[in-house]
Amino acid sequence: MKVWIKRNLFRSWWDGVLTVIFGALSLWVIWSILLFVFVTGRWEIVEVNLKLLLVGQFPNDSLWLIQASMIAIAFWMAAALGKAGSIENRANLVPTIWDFVQRFGLVVAVGVILVLLAGDGYAIGIGLSIVAAVALGRLLNWSRQRMSPLRRIPAFLWHLSLLAPPVILIFATLQQSDLKLWGGFLINFYIAIISMVLCFPLGVLLALGRRSKLPIIRLISTTYIELIRGVPLFVLLLLSGVALEFFIPSDISPGSVFRAVTVFTLFMGGYMAEIFRGGLQSVPSGQLEAGNALGLSIPKITFLIMLPQALRNAIPAQIGQFISLFKDTTLAGAALGLLEVLKVSEAMTKQPDFLGLGYIYEALAFVSLLFWVGSYVMSKESQRLEKRLGVGLR
Amino acid sequence: MSNNVFADATQLSGGRAQEDAIIVMENVGKSFKDFQALKNVNFKVGKQEVVVVIGPSGSGKSTLIRCINRLEEHDAGRIMVDGIELSTDLRNIQEIRKEIGMVFQNFNLFPHLTVLTNIAIGPRQVRNLPKAQAEEIAKELLTRVKIPEQADKFPSQLSGGQQQRVAIARALAMKPKVMLFDEPTSALDPEMINEVLDAIKELAQDGMTMVVVTHEMGFAREVADRVVFMADGEIVEVGSPEQLFDNPQEERTKKFLSQIL
Repeated sequence: MKVWIKRNLFRSWWDGVLTVIFGALSLWVIWSILLFVFVTGRWEIVEVNLKLLLVGQFPNDSLWLIQASMIAIAFWMAAALGKAGSIENRANLVPTIWDFVQRFGLVVAVGVILVLLAGDGYAIGIGLSIVAAVALGRLLNWSRQRMSPLRRIPAFLWHLSLLAPPVILIFATLQQSDLKLWGGFLINFYIAIISMVLCFPLGVLLALGRRSKLPIIRLISTTYIELIRGVPLFVLLLLSGVALEFFIPSDISPGSVFRAVTVFTLFMGGYMAEIFRGGLQSVPSGQLEAGNALGLSIPKITFLIMLPQALRNAIPAQIGQFISLFKDTTLAGAALGLLEVLKVSEAMTKQPDFLGLGYIYEALAFVSLLFWVGSYVMSKESQRLEKRLGVGLR
Repeated sequence: MSNNVFADATQLSGGRAQEDAIIVMENVGKSFKDFQALKNVNFKVGKQEVVVVIGPSGSGKSTLIRCINRLEEHDAGRIMVDGIELSTDLRNIQEIRKEIGMVFQNFNLFPHLTVLTNIAIGPRQVRNLPKAQAEEIAKELLTRVKIPEQADKFPSQLSGGQQQRVAIARALAMKPKVMLFDEPTSALDPEMINEVLDAIKELAQDGMTMVVVTHEMGFAREVADRVVFMADGEIVEVGSPEQLFDNPQEERTKKFLSQIL
């Protein structure tokens, strides 16, 4: 310990000075943050507006649908996903307690904070149900690996049957409530997830298109990518507020959510295309030659050999893009008037009780926390995925 | 001169090359921009014949065999494989590639697939065999190249020699009529060269038609029916191993052999 301190912090007098200055500085920063969080922070503004921040004006009598969806998703994730080390090299991937803390600690912490903020028996009930769902899911996952009658069910059937309840619930939620009433963090989450799912295939297609042998396809893809990447996202969002009418019959009149999802998908598709193109270029040319020499057709080489390697190589950049998409959903509030979480937080500081009292710090801190936790979880999960797919690769 | 070489060649291989040649190259030329990699190459390989191609680097050896399965496109002359002419017709190319197995210098195994899948992918995806049958073939071939226990590993977990043997098995899984080897031992550590050469020798003994580009002269002497010496994109001299190594006729052959032996 003594040696470590000497070697790393006070190797020369100059190091010593730096250590003292930056040590003091970081202690002061940490102290201020702790002071703000636990003493001076007036969190009642978040407490009062918790529902608005999380789900906006979502109708109260349908709220149970969202809660049930969350429980179902938690159950499904615990039951179907997270089978670490199912491929090879099990030894490296057996999770330790610390791994679990790293993976889920933050989510649990935020859950606890939310329950505390809500401060009623109902919220505690939901929290406990989610914990129970996770436990039940793990148990089911474990029993599937042990019991032969369950193991005989093919994986795709098993996963589908587990996935069915959350999907049904989510569709029921969409049916039961008008998207216009959705708001708060729920809408950020919704826009981000849908756009991620949609921009992925678009990106793959554009990347393949840009490498195509047919000049016309190459031209279209390249033009699209360069155009989309040359325009600020915010401008596109503003434009979608007025310009989408040109392309869609006016009697449909898409809602703001639809507009936002469209723009995010088209925009991120362009970026994803370049990421995937980079991934494709990182696959050595010998792979293509080996596929050709075997007599594989070009589509089979693309989908069985090139893309799996390209997508894996592109994971870090992909996740980076997803994280930035997730956070950029806050732009939709300013551009399209969507009541997403940032817009809500801004609006609630103007409520009569809080107006002019500088509550904006608390509001923005809470919003930051939500996004930071989401981004951190994505980043951590991507590292896990890389490790898992990285097994046996080069 | 090329005619002369040709006559020699057929004579030396007991006439097999002429009777039922499986690969026929006539006046084949190939240029990369302003560099001419192949000049007017005439070349035949008979069924069950083992031809070893040697020559200094940049002499066009690799280009020659890469033209045979159209990894390079020749721009002059004709190439016929098993009676099918290589043209721009994609169907022809696909047909020919099914009949030709190729082993590369850098193995080029698919790193994201297990050893077993690497071998089974050809029969499964090109010959459309059921999965179980394709894997059965793969297991047999792994036994044949003496690494059946590595089936479920990934290529990167194997040694270079093992990887190259997997690559050989992968090519064989298509049940090819011809095997092409493009410097199969050049990327290997010295102690692994022999295990790969042994696998190739066994193939030769089983009567596989093969064209091997290599720098292993001892190996060439041992397995080749004919040795082809190339320089500057031309076939300079063709002969039996004894003839070419012990009694070379051409000046360039003599010079090359004196440099490496």
